[in-house]
Amino acid sequence: MSKAFISAVCMTKIGRHFKLGIKNLIHEVTACMEEKTGSRPDYLIVASALSALQTHQLDIASIATQYLGWNNIPSIRVETGETSGIAALELAQYIIRSGAASKVLVVGVEKMTEYPSNKVNADYAKILDYDTEYVRNIAPPNYAALVMREYMRKYGATRDDIAEWPVKMHANAVNNPYAQLRFPVSKEAVSNAMVISEPITLLDAFPIGDGAAAVLVTNESARSKDALEIVAIASATAPPLYLREDVTELPATKAAWMTLKRKLEAHKSGEVALQVHDSYSIYGILALEALEVSDRGKACSIVPNLEYLNVGGGLKARGHPIGATGLYQVAETYELMINEFAGKHYRGEYALIHSMSGPDYNARLALLRRW
Amino acid sequence: MKHSISIFWRNRESHYRIKIIKCNACGKLAYFGRDRCPYCGSKDVTTIESEGKGTLVNFTVSYYRREGDEEHLPRIVGLVKLDEGIVVPGEIVDIDPSEVKEGIRVEAVLRRYSSDDPYGLIYYGLKFIPILKK
Repeated sequence: MSKAFISAVCMTKIGRHFKLGIKNLIHEVTACMEEKTGSRPDYLIVASALSALQTHQLDIASIATQYLGWNNIPSIRVETGETSGIAALELAQYIIRSGAASKVLVVGVEKMTEYPSNKVNADYAKILDYDTEYVRNIAPPNYAALVMREYMRKYGATRDDIAEWPVKMHANAVNNPYAQLRFPVSKEAVSNAMVISEPITLLDAFPIGDGAAAVLVTNESARSKDALEIVAIASATAPPLYLREDVTELPATKAAWMTLKRKLEAHKSGEVALQVHDSYSIYGILALEALEVSDRGKACSIVPNLEYLNVGGGLKARGHPIGATGLYQVAETYELMINEFAGKHYRGEYALIHSMSGPDYNARLALLRRW
Repeated sequence: MKHSISIFWRNRESHYRIKIIKCNACGKLAYFGRDRCPYCGSKDVTTIESEGKGTLVNFTVSYYRREGDEEHLPRIVGLVKLDEGIVVPGEIVDIDPSEVKEGIRVEAVLRRYSSDDPYGLIYYGLKFIPILKK
């Protein structure tokens, strides 16, 4: 099987783009990619979780090729909830490794401001089981709140301990030109912010914003001189939250990590640039523990010292245009390792990207290596 | 319409009663009517009905706004450990948010989940209320 590489990336600033529709956002990143690479891909994958619900558009991938004038290029839309972006990357690498294409463009896009927030919240909540959870008025932040309460009780963590996460994410986002929330916050501000689902406040939660990011995945012959190798992508699923023995564990993330860890030879978690999924502060903390960056119950204390953790501000402050988020994680990592991103340049060999949906109903890990 | 009538009708047994499945292969119990065990995938499962009583083990007071349910905020969403031994999620009602605490005894009752105006549809299902001490 051939190797797969990330050869170029493009991002739009995340925000409330009332003048841009979903096709305009796709156009922005594909135009950027054409300018960077001077060519068109031979396969298009579009990752979008909410396009059918928020923009009333099915088969957005084919519609995108029509809009772009990319006739005859095969296309697929990928949707796996909040991990749609990394799932699309997973599919792209298989297409490349199989030899079916040499240049696969993966575009993540989400329009989340076409309706008022209560409609967006309702659609987002459908990442949970519709019959069992959604109909009963249970929403993702409710589960994150239950997890956070249990974590605080089990490990004696305080509200201020967990506020280390948003404080760090906002500090990072200040230097990210594509981030939605480019302002610092204090622990006090986190605690005193509007309550979403007790004890989760507004500053523990991701903002609603539109965005698009594109990643060009190629084989070796089409690889750019500045490329990252996709070493492996591992994914797993997990039972619903209420059937878990311990809700402070991320079982899908843990299972994916065990798969990926076995594939690695001389990899140590402390030596990688990390991007972890933090739709809510507590999930960032739990991700560090599931990935064995920290012992269980102790991640809050190491957060301030992790220099290459969510350098763009994470979902919390960079933003979380759901289906596009995984590709923002990849694009930021590429820039961090190849050029400079958010005022930092990472010289190490490996980067690990973590994505998950809801309370870890599915998780995906991408391991990237400098080539 | 917010919900499909046929989807809701199909699941009515699980909305109006707490159905637990017992896996005859791995022995575990699981919540919500299912054709297979969510732990081992076995199709050899038996459905039993819970008495509907249990203990609140975790909860959150939610102000999260979802289209159509703003009038019921704040909501108390909790995890209830049923006397049969498994945990189920659900709303806790008939108690002030300032008074709810872990460890209280609760029981399932039929309440309104949501209404679908202007279609005149009202969806009912189970929520939990505190068991009052006599």
